[in-house]
Amino acid sequence: MVELIVGGLFIYAGATKVLDPLQFAIDIDNYKSIPWSIAVRLAFYLPWLEMLCGLALITRRLYLGGLSILSLLISIFIVLSIVAKARGLDISCGCFGHASKYLSFAGHLALNFAILAALLTLFWRARSPQKESS
Amino acid sequence: MARRPDAGAGYAGRPAAVTSHFLRQALLLAALAFVPAIGQAIYFRERVSWQSPIPPSEMVTVRQARAWGADVIWVDARPEEDFTHDHVPGAILLNEDRWNELLPPFLATWSPEKKVVVYCSTQSCNLALEVARRLRNEAQLKDVYVLQGGWEEWLKQKK
Amino acid sequence: MKNPKLSLFIVSGLLALGLISPASAALKWEQTTLDLYPAVGDKDAVGHFKYQNTGDKPVRFKSVRTSCGCTVAQTQKDVVPPGEKGEITATFHIGDRTGAQMKTVIVETDDSAPSVTLTLKATIPQLLEIKPTFVFWQANESPTAKTVNVTASKDFPVPQIKVTSSNPDFQTKVEKVGKGEFKIDIQPKTMTKPSSTALTIQPENSSKVFNVSASVMAAPVVPAVVNPAATWHVVPTPAPVTPAVPQP
Repeated sequence: MVELIVGGLFIYAGATKVLDPLQFAIDIDNYKSIPWSIAVRLAFYLPWLEMLCGLALITRRLYLGGLSILSLLISIFIVLSIVAKARGLDISCGCFGHASKYLSFAGHLALNFAILAALLTLFWRARSPQKESS
Repeated sequence: MARRPDAGAGYAGRPAAVTSHFLRQALLLAALAFVPAIGQAIYFRERVSWQSPIPPSEMVTVRQARAWGADVIWVDARPEEDFTHDHVPGAILLNEDRWNELLPPFLATWSPEKKVVVYCSTQSCNLALEVARRLRNEAQLKDVYVLQGGWEEWLKQKK
Repeated sequence: MKNPKLSLFIVSGLLALGLISPASAALKWEQTTLDLYPAVGDKDAVGHFKYQNTGDKPVRFKSVRTSCGCTVAQTQKDVVPPGEKGEITATFHIGDRTGAQMKTVIVETDDSAPSVTLTLKATIPQLLEIKPTFVFWQANESPTAKTVNVTASKDFPVPQIKVTSSNPDFQTKVEKVGKGEFKIDIQPKTMTKPSSTALTIQPENSSKVFNVSASVMAAPVVPAVVNPAATWHVVPTPAPVTPAVPQP
């Protein structure tokens, strides 16, 4: 059940970015962490990767690969958000389109950590299914 | 590609194999994602600036504006207190608070060979865009640009 | 499923926290967007953003910022006790702005939805719409009349306008071309030297005055080398006008 929600979330998030790659490129560029020429290429690539991995979660094909890529992406994103905030950059997330602008920075961070926790839980569950737990 | 057992049902406790599995899967996903990405990039190839974020055609960089040298009329679109505090040498104040009063003296300095570069502070800043728009629409001036990065960018490149 | 239920509980709890928290903000706003219609001649447009603290804890305003210097916003109090109502007054100094204007006020509180954006949309009525507000003649151009179009606002009919020129070297002719529509033809009497004039345009039923500038330019200096980096913007060069020599 959780993988359906999380997978669906990433498919949705990826889709909003696929629809407007230029805006996503600008959003990436706002973090001022990488040069534009790389940002614009990532802006075309990452959304599709996101959607494919979300699909992997839902269909349970290439499941672990999808989980690990998504975990990596979210972790990097969390780190970049914190760094950007520390540098005083004013970023509007861009991850869920404009729906997310109502969340505070802490709210965003909490959401991302929750997603990361969900991904890691799914990963752990899949790797060690026979581990007895309460 | 061999069919793997459903990941949800779990592997029969072989961590080493699982590790290589997830790496392989990840690489496969990463490779698969390239296909639609490249397709989309080709579709957008004319519409995207690949090397540097080219500003829309009305924008101009500090470097370009300074290269124009004496051909430039600098216009400060900020509130008067900011202008009084400091401004680009030779700049003329023209903001919307006192547009009617400030426009004629600005026009007196203008001639068709000049390029107008409007700036404001990066925080405020629709101001320069608005002033530039009014100069183009109402006074019908050509060669009106907005300074990319604004006053802050000019300060950074002053040296 | 043998997975630890605890981690799932924590995960959904965090998710719920992230998704739900903004909806339970204690400070409720009657409206976060206000449309203002100041009258002709108004210097300010004022918006009253009313709020109420529907929570059980006091809410404190940490900061109130406006999108531009022309708008000032004031809270009446710094802390709003539970149940209390109040308002943030946003005053937009219109200046010489025209048309549709949008200004925002960003309010930071210690509420669960910490940042609120209040929007003021003001439609500034223009008594007269004048286009263009500037005409000029190049030194080698022929001194033909140039036209300035004046359109009165539909809400404020103007039967006639009065035009005066600060410089007698320019001739002006005013013509009414329709209801509230006028044409001003401006013509320099001489092109021998650079000169300019400031026209004042006044509707006969208002004291408000509008300006148009007109200039005869000096002869251009020999143009400098065209900067190759500037060629991405095409500069229309004036076609030289040779004085017509009538052939007998």
